Amino acid sequence: MSAPSSPFAPRSRQRRLREGLVIAVFRAATYVVLLAGGGVFADILIKGSRTVFQAEAPFINTTFLFSAPESLHVFEWEGRRREMGDREFRAFREREPGAADVRAESFVYSAGGIWPCIAGTLLLVAGAMTLALAVGVSSAVYLSEYARDGRFIRFVRLAILNLAGVPSIVFGLFGFGMFVIFFGWNVSLLAGWFTLAFMVLPVVITASEEALKAVPQGLRAAALALGATRWQTIRTAVLPYALPGILTSSILGIARVAGETAPIMFTAAYVVRDRLPWEVERAIDFLFQGVMALPYHIYVVSSKIPQNEYTERVQYGTAFVFLLLVAFVAAASIFLRNRLRARLRW
Amino acid sequence: MPTPDSRPHLLARRRLRFLGLTPDDAIRAFFGGNAVVAVIVLALITYFLVREGAGFFGQNRRNLEVYRLAGLEFVDHLRAQEEAHTALTRRLSELRLQAFDRLSRGGADAGAADRALGGFDAYADRFGMAIDPLRALGSELAEIASAIKTKFVVNEDRKEERRQLSAEGRTAEAQRVEVAPVDFAAAARPLLAARDRHREVNRALAAELMSLLSAAPAPPVPELREPLELFGTEVRAYVSELPAIERRLETWDQARPVSFGEALRAFLFGRQWLTASFWQDWYGLLPLLTGSLLVAGVALILSVPLGVGAAIYVNQFASQREQRAVKPAIEFISAFPSVVLGFFGIAVLGEVLRQVSHVPWLDWVPGFPFSERLNVLTAGCLLALIAVPTIFTLAEDALNNVPRALPEASLALGASRLQTTLRIVFPAALSGIISAVLLGLGRVIGETMVVLLCAGNRIAIPDFTQGLGVMVEPVHTMTGIIAQEMGEVVRGSLHYRALFMVGLVLFLLSLGINFLAQRILRRYRLASS
Repeated sequence: MSAPSSPFAPRSRQRRLREGLVIAVFRAATYVVLLAGGGVFADILIKGSRTVFQAEAPFINTTFLFSAPESLHVFEWEGRRREMGDREFRAFREREPGAADVRAESFVYSAGGIWPCIAGTLLLVAGAMTLALAVGVSSAVYLSEYARDGRFIRFVRLAILNLAGVPSIVFGLFGFGMFVIFFGWNVSLLAGWFTLAFMVLPVVITASEEALKAVPQGLRAAALALGATRWQTIRTAVLPYALPGILTSSILGIARVAGETAPIMFTAAYVVRDRLPWEVERAIDFLFQGVMALPYHIYVVSSKIPQNEYTERVQYGTAFVFLLLVAFVAAASIFLRNRLRARLRW
Repeated sequence: MPTPDSRPHLLARRRLRFLGLTPDDAIRAFFGGNAVVAVIVLALITYFLVREGAGFFGQNRRNLEVYRLAGLEFVDHLRAQEEAHTALTRRLSELRLQAFDRLSRGGADAGAADRALGGFDAYADRFGMAIDPLRALGSELAEIASAIKTKFVVNEDRKEERRQLSAEGRTAEAQRVEVAPVDFAAAARPLLAARDRHREVNRALAAELMSLLSAAPAPPVPELREPLELFGTEVRAYVSELPAIERRLETWDQARPVSFGEALRAFLFGRQWLTASFWQDWYGLLPLLTGSLLVAGVALILSVPLGVGAAIYVNQFASQREQRAVKPAIEFISAFPSVVLGFFGIAVLGEVLRQVSHVPWLDWVPGFPFSERLNVLTAGCLLALIAVPTIFTLAEDALNNVPRALPEASLALGASRLQTTLRIVFPAALSGIISAVLLGLGRVIGETMVVLLCAGNRIAIPDFTQGLGVMVEPVHTMTGIIAQEMGEVVRGSLHYRALFMVGLVLFLLSLGINFLAQRILRRYRLASS
């Protein structure tokens, strides 16, 4: 057996090299992930911007953003290839006597825009987040301010953890079985709100609890020592300081609500709908109408119509708008939270 | 400034009560009630999945019973025999293709190769034709059986019509609806009577096949000798199986009731998911389950090294600045909507992977080259991107939670940074990392849109005989089938309930994975952390 080398002997070059190599492999893994994510993001951004932006003023394709989807008709006319939306095509045929029997290739949803989808998604997100925040924050207040650790609270926490792991399609099935069928709400905004709200509930609860826990105990103790009741303490000494944290972390929940397709497929989303959500006769109809939504529209245009140069525009355009919307929300949440964490050192 | 007396003393007892609760109690109860919502939602999910899905077993039992009563099962026994023969015929034509390849590579032109294979072709043709009498018998019986089933279905519809009419109070009209119960036993008599003919047909078939084997042509190319011998043994095995099929037909009991367990087994271990078929609908979970697991497996193989590797790098080796840049970026990836990733798979990734698979020097990769754009691999790659942020964030947390004393002690003993990371920090965080991987798995199995758009949606158990090549086959998944078929089923139908059952399985699976993850986390947590 050779004598043990001194622990303070400099490491051999070879070993240092080997260590550097292993670390480089770990580093490569990190950047492969970032590269893959960046690649997807860039592809959609670049190809989608061709639809959403244009070369002449106002530089943004307002037809695409602010009109309803139509079918696209492509045909040869006087030696030139023409592309027209539904309405334009009908007007054209009336105007041109010879065009009555022109043979046009049609692609559904490939002309016009996605305004009803944007509106629907915004409505879904707003309603679902209101519900989820109301229930979620209250729930977190109970868990962090009132509850004493016991069997029941552990059970509640277990339920929250498990709820977070339930697949979104199961929420869709559940919403369909409960709201659409059992309550008889049909495919409606209301059913979508509740389904989505239940889905993000764990995210909101966890985020709110973290924010509440970050408020130092001293504030509570001081308020209680002054004779305030529990509720007074919470209202004046805890919630105001936790609120920024609750809100910023909950924005991450917005990204989740806006981004999921499966829960709204059978509860709230229509493939196509002529009227905008607020064009209803009675106010109550507003709650019981289905809406178009961006994620569902992406699913429809990417799976139900063929891939070609004409349909690609609407596909990439919709994906672009949707991704940007969600990405903006997510980035804002991550940024604000990191700033808040850095600032709030009690 | 108010005088002290003008407002109540802070410590004064409040007397206001509502339903025996002080306002504070009421507020507390309100918050407590909200906290229970999570529990209630979980219970409601279970209840509604069971409520809509539980009827499945009863209905499926009836479905299977009709399958038996109408004699479809009887005919399917026969058809199995026919299909086995067709598989053998297909094997022969594969062998011919091989031989043809070999010959034309050896310099023969197409005509010469065809001539050289003449004897073999005659043999294959005769082999294929040997099944004709059985096929004729099979289709004759199939017609009888499906006529019985049609009669039954029409009758059920009439019964339903009559029930509805009398529920509406239109009794006279209800009486006019003709309902003629089907006498299954009598209707199936021609099927049973055909057993003698079947035996004769089988005897002729066996004789024909054996005589064919003994007069087999010499292998057209020497390489085919061994496969042909193998083929011979298979044919002999096939012939020796014939009496077993006859026995099965002999002992087939039309009136044997379908037990509840049989209906359950038909769902859990059924190998077919076949809906809206004119012959018989099957609701078997296996093709969907294997599809889900296969896609999840590919996703984990890709995402575990990447996610855990990135977590180790960021937590242990990255500089502060790099950490601050990388962590939010990976978190940002988790916000990508899955439907956008699915669209990316259809529009870009599927085609890219397909072209990569056609690169000649990548031939050694199992399954390459492939022609289906949408398959397990495409979906798996995208799901990996979904799973990586989950795994990364949780694994990084786990590494972060390792008490500082451990790496410090290790470094003080003279271990290098890499040794400290791999032998001290990583093992200490292992339980957290494993639970991170499990939660990533849960995410991947429950993901819907990516697999719906990119997994290829072919409902069949993938062919595992080709080894790893199975990962470029199109599959269908549990989540995908619900999303795809739920929109078009009739409420309350067997198909509808089957989809809810799949949802229930998915739900239980995700609960199980979650439970396991928490259990591992709690069980192996370091005492000091």
